[in-house]
Amino acid sequence: MSDIVLELQNVSRIFGEGDTQVKALDDVSFKIKRGEFVLIVGSSGSGKSTLLNMIGLLDKPTFGKVILDGKETTTLKDGQVSQYRNEKLGFVFQFANLLPDLTVLENVMLPQQIQGISEDIRQNATDLLIKVGLEDQINKRSNKISGGQAQRAAIARGLVNRPTVVLADEPTGNLDSVTAGKVVKLAKTMAKELNQTFIIVTHDKHQFPDVDRIITIKDGKSYEEENTMEITV
Amino acid sequence: MDYRVNLAARMLANKRGSLIGAVLAVSIGILVIHVNFVIFQGIYDAIIRDMTDYRFGDIFVSHEEEATIERSHVVYTNWFERVPLVQSATPRLSGSADIEFRSMGEFHEEYDVPVVGVEPVSDIQASKIHTTISDGQYVYARNSIVVGETVAEDLGGVRVGDNLKLIMTNQGGEENSKRFVVTGISKTAGGQGFDTSVIVHIDTLRSLVDRPNESNSIFVKLNEKNPAAALEIRKQFLAAYANDDLKAQTIEEAAEATLKGFRSGIAMINLIGYFGMGSSAFAIVTIQMMLVNSKTREIGVMRAIGAKRKDILMVFILQGMIIGAIGAGAGTGIGLAYTTYAKETNMQFQGSLALEVNYNWSKIAETALLAFFLAILAAIYPSYRATKLQPVEAMRNV
Ligand SMILES: Nc1ncnc2c1ncn2[C@@H]1O[C@H](COP(=O)(O)OP(=O)(O)OP(=O)(O)O)[C@@H](O)[C@H]1O
Ligand SMILES: [Mg+2]
Repeated sequence: MSDIVLELQNVSRIFGEGDTQVKALDDVSFKIKRGEFVLIVGSSGSGKSTLLNMIGLLDKPTFGKVILDGKETTTLKDGQVSQYRNEKLGFVFQFANLLPDLTVLENVMLPQQIQGISEDIRQNATDLLIKVGLEDQINKRSNKISGGQAQRAAIARGLVNRPTVVLADEPTGNLDSVTAGKVVKLAKTMAKELNQTFIIVTHDKHQFPDVDRIITIKDGKSYEEENTMEITV
Repeated sequence: MDYRVNLAARMLANKRGSLIGAVLAVSIGILVIHVNFVIFQGIYDAIIRDMTDYRFGDIFVSHEEEATIERSHVVYTNWFERVPLVQSATPRLSGSADIEFRSMGEFHEEYDVPVVGVEPVSDIQASKIHTTISDGQYVYARNSIVVGETVAEDLGGVRVGDNLKLIMTNQGGEENSKRFVVTGISKTAGGQGFDTSVIVHIDTLRSLVDRPNESNSIFVKLNEKNPAAALEIRKQFLAAYANDDLKAQTIEEAAEATLKGFRSGIAMINLIGYFGMGSSAFAIVTIQMMLVNSKTREIGVMRAIGAKRKDILMVFILQGMIIGAIGAGAGTGIGLAYTTYAKETNMQFQGSLALEVNYNWSKIAETALLAFFLAILAAIYPSYRATKLQPVEAMRNV
């Protein structure tokens, strides 16, 4: 199996038409290896979220290819894309985005249930919740826990299907700095323990010391700022 | 439990207002149909009941062409009374009379009042008209007369014990008259009885119109209501007297003229009921649209973590099923409670006829099922809209 889990080839994303056209991403290419902890940084409006949406198969590029686990994804149908998101991607959103109608445990079980797995799902979810330090919150309604706890649960939910890549868009953007620090630490511990690839969008790279790579986005173009690994083939 | 069922149920449980609104919409739709049925089918069945009890019996025999049956009724009533399922058969003759009444020096006269001749002994067995005597008693002697309440009022207030004079014209055009003693006043709720007639002994009427032994009709009462038996007995009777040119009708046939208009009225009312159900479906559409709109982020999250369009569709269709099931259950329950209440209390409206309330189980089940499927149908559009929400919704940072 190749070590490259994700590759973007000349990805552009253009919103709108004519005079109001916005080129949110402009010919972005890079590769990411298994187990890398990658930051995407850039100022507001630079195109970070747009890029993450491309990687997360939530939106399709206007030009270019997104290759996930060796598979070109831009030509997949909606149902296949959903399956890819379920199996190969884990999401952690800025506002945790747990489903408020479900308990913490049910939220973490959900990606497995969507996949159609029925064995051990409760156990898997419980194990992860213990790992992220939420053993006391397991059966609470997910809108009855704190923001930091919700973000931990969201990380557990993002990890539960053992995805190829976990994506997070400003996962600490809504937290105070102490809580944010704890969440960052948790993400990094998990990444190391599970050899899990993480791609995290942030506008504050100082919250994430010692990452493997930092990709900077400026006006829709990507720049490798701190390059600890070879990316050009 | 399937996560979609769980999610559908939880979403509804946490939006109690929407749930109650939608369930109410379904159950009110059902309730309207139940109430309509109790009232209008109840009136319809009450009319049949009263016409059976007072005017036609279960089988009504008359001459096919002539106004009267010349052959003695005894032949026919004896035939019927030998049939085990028949309770009794009684002859009736009708005519019309001018009536004169003098009370406290005032003279009252009514023209062309319908006169019904009955044979008291068998009439009491076959018909329930004797139970409509609100004051006094039924015809028992040759000179006793029962006066319908409307007639009694028109004559300026006839009471039991008063004297009346009836003037009738016989076949030859001669006038005959006779004095009667009022023995009873007859009144029926809803007026299907003889409120606008007078009732006398059939033999008295026969001699007044010079029609000895004749009758207009034979009123046949079965031991219990049994339309199939009525049809069979009628068939055998007509076969036994094939040469007598008789006509024998079941109550449904005899009352057809009265009931026909009523039936289309009921159909109309039912239609309105179904429109009510239809509008409750629109209420569900609206309520569920609101629910979907309030859940755009959640739907986006589900899509982002891999739920397919059909999973989203399923969650909201399942909500329609939950709403439909609870609504159909509640509506049917309340509807049945109302029906039972109407039946136990012999419900009537302002002294009109008492409703004949029956449980029509197939219609009850049909209504509940219809409401259930309508709720699911109503859920289709909001559910479809939910599937159109994009997974990027989950990423909106607001
Ligand atoms: N759906 C859209 N339609 C039109 N323009 C869009 C859309 N999404 C993003 N854009 C534009 O693309 C550019 C990049 O937006 P993006 O959300 O990727 O920025 P960002 O780097 O995530 O910013 P922030 O730090 O504020 O979240 C912006 O100019 C934005 O206005
Ligand atoms: Mg952004």
